[in-house]
Amino acid sequence: MTAMPVIAPGETAQSMTERICDITLREDKSVRTPLWWWIAFGLSLSLLGGGVVSVLWLFYAGLGIWGIDWPVAWGFDILNYVWWIAIASGGTFISALFFLLGVEWRTSLNRLAESLTLCAALCAAIFPILHLGRPWFFYWLFPYPNTMGLWAQFRSPLVWDFFAILAYVLCSTLFWYFGLLPDFATLRDRAQGRGQRVFYGILAMGFRGSNRQWRHYRPVYAVTAALMAPLVVSVHSIVGMDFAGAAATGWHSTQFPPFFVFGAALSGFAVVLLVLLPLRPLLGLQPYITARHIDVLGRLLLTSSLCVTYAYIMDAFSTFYGPDQADRTMFLIRVSGLYAPVYWGTVILNGVLPQLFWWRSFRLNPVLTWLICFGVLVGMWLERFQIIVTSLARTQLPSSWGQYTPTFWEWSLLFGTIGLFLTTFLLIVRLIPIVAMAEMRAMLRRPQ
Amino acid sequence: MIIASFATEVGLGKAATDLLSRNVGRVETYLGMEPQNDQEGSVLPAAMLCGGLAGGTGGFLMQVWATTISYPLNIGGRPDFSWPSYVPATFELAVLGAVLTGFIGYFVLAGLPHLYDPVDESDRMRQPMQGGYVLVVYPSDRAAVWNTLSAHAPIGVEETEE
Repeated sequence: MTAMPVIAPGETAQSMTERICDITLREDKSVRTPLWWWIAFGLSLSLLGGGVVSVLWLFYAGLGIWGIDWPVAWGFDILNYVWWIAIASGGTFISALFFLLGVEWRTSLNRLAESLTLCAALCAAIFPILHLGRPWFFYWLFPYPNTMGLWAQFRSPLVWDFFAILAYVLCSTLFWYFGLLPDFATLRDRAQGRGQRVFYGILAMGFRGSNRQWRHYRPVYAVTAALMAPLVVSVHSIVGMDFAGAAATGWHSTQFPPFFVFGAALSGFAVVLLVLLPLRPLLGLQPYITARHIDVLGRLLLTSSLCVTYAYIMDAFSTFYGPDQADRTMFLIRVSGLYAPVYWGTVILNGVLPQLFWWRSFRLNPVLTWLICFGVLVGMWLERFQIIVTSLARTQLPSSWGQYTPTFWEWSLLFGTIGLFLTTFLLIVRLIPIVAMAEMRAMLRRPQ
Repeated sequence: MIIASFATEVGLGKAATDLLSRNVGRVETYLGMEPQNDQEGSVLPAAMLCGGLAGGTGGFLMQVWATTISYPLNIGGRPDFSWPSYVPATFELAVLGAVLTGFIGYFVLAGLPHLYDPVDESDRMRQPMQGGYVLVVYPSDRAAVWNTLSAHAPIGVEETEE
């Protein structure tokens, strides 16, 4: 098999710097912000607007506008939270884990992937707060001295989750910004207009590439990457424990923490590919994000799909190997009951469809790859639906069985967060360098 | 100060080494990526370890104090001091402590934020972060600096006020 390059032949540090800066600075004044960006931004803003209306109505009318009720007290709020936070993980896996492994293809992708992490984590963080019912008291989760003499319940996985998300969002933001410091300095020094120089100058904080500044840069970046890798695994393990910690049928399983990590990797790689494939030609990134990157991400997606499929098989095996009749009934309800299409949709989209990536021609077909990644994201959403809703709707006591139907306001909030994700990401694409230029220069220095 | 730009990183490195060996003033190099042969270590990984230990220990002790002294609560008959359940928050706070220490420590040691420096007056200083190689000398012996630099064939040299 011929090895594909991680960067197009003939590319230099200068040509790369010019190309990446031009996306942000638009140095050639005759080249305006492209039309596709404005159309995408307009669509994203309208979705976001719908989400804002949904949140305002929620604040006014309360949680009754959602379809959650007894016994399904967790619905779209937790479902979408778990879905978004899993999507966020892809950036950290690529940026931190593959940095530690020293793989070269990671260099062109890490900024894009980290930016996706931040946008998705922002969307995820909204749901647990809104789900509180009285979101203005969200700070009660902080362990702060208060006149009520109360503390958070540290034995609860839900409080562990709060600490996990807090640490993850803060560390991801710092890691992202730290990686951006040299590139903001490049934009500052390249900008022609005063406004741009001031804007990027403030963001660069006075980074000039001095020996003193570089000496401490790499060690901090490397140690942070080494910490981010176990952090992302811990976050998704704790999300799994949110469920495993409850004595609910279908949730109370030691398999959940690794299962959720597998799912996070799958949806994380899928969203990176989903965004990367259209962005690559639109921004002219083909010299830096080559077929090699798409091929590698396709393989990673296939690997994580196999891990998730293993978890689905083990779920079925352990259910029938174990002694609990309620677990068996729950499994049969999942595969043949009211929500059976959700279960089979999950299996097909997450387990079966990505098997096409065994063939290189499929991995390198952008349209097919995009469709499979989109299918995986839908599949991961369906997986969360079947985990959360089916277990709650079919409790151990048949007299307590219920049903869950999401309302318009839940759907509008979901699409509102998709709008938030796209809006923030489009702003990032427009305002910051989407490829890590300083790291690319160091890579270009090495013989290819 | 004397500001010189070079065509290659090797040229910059040789000139800086020569100037330092002649002890003709303080030398600072500027380039747009990590230096290739930087042998000097950093104290920040050790500081991050300490920050992580402080974050983790502080987080653990906070949970011990909250659940055994300040607000003991019987949850399913579990002991007040149920340390295994403190582990997740302890780990998260340890990571947060380490990363915050690294980030703040970096800003302190790298002298940031530092929005203005007299070197910014030179247009040559816009080159390093775009892929150029620049050296700044704060000379104690101007003539010696000029002589040394000319031996290393810089692509441009200028002198500005400090």
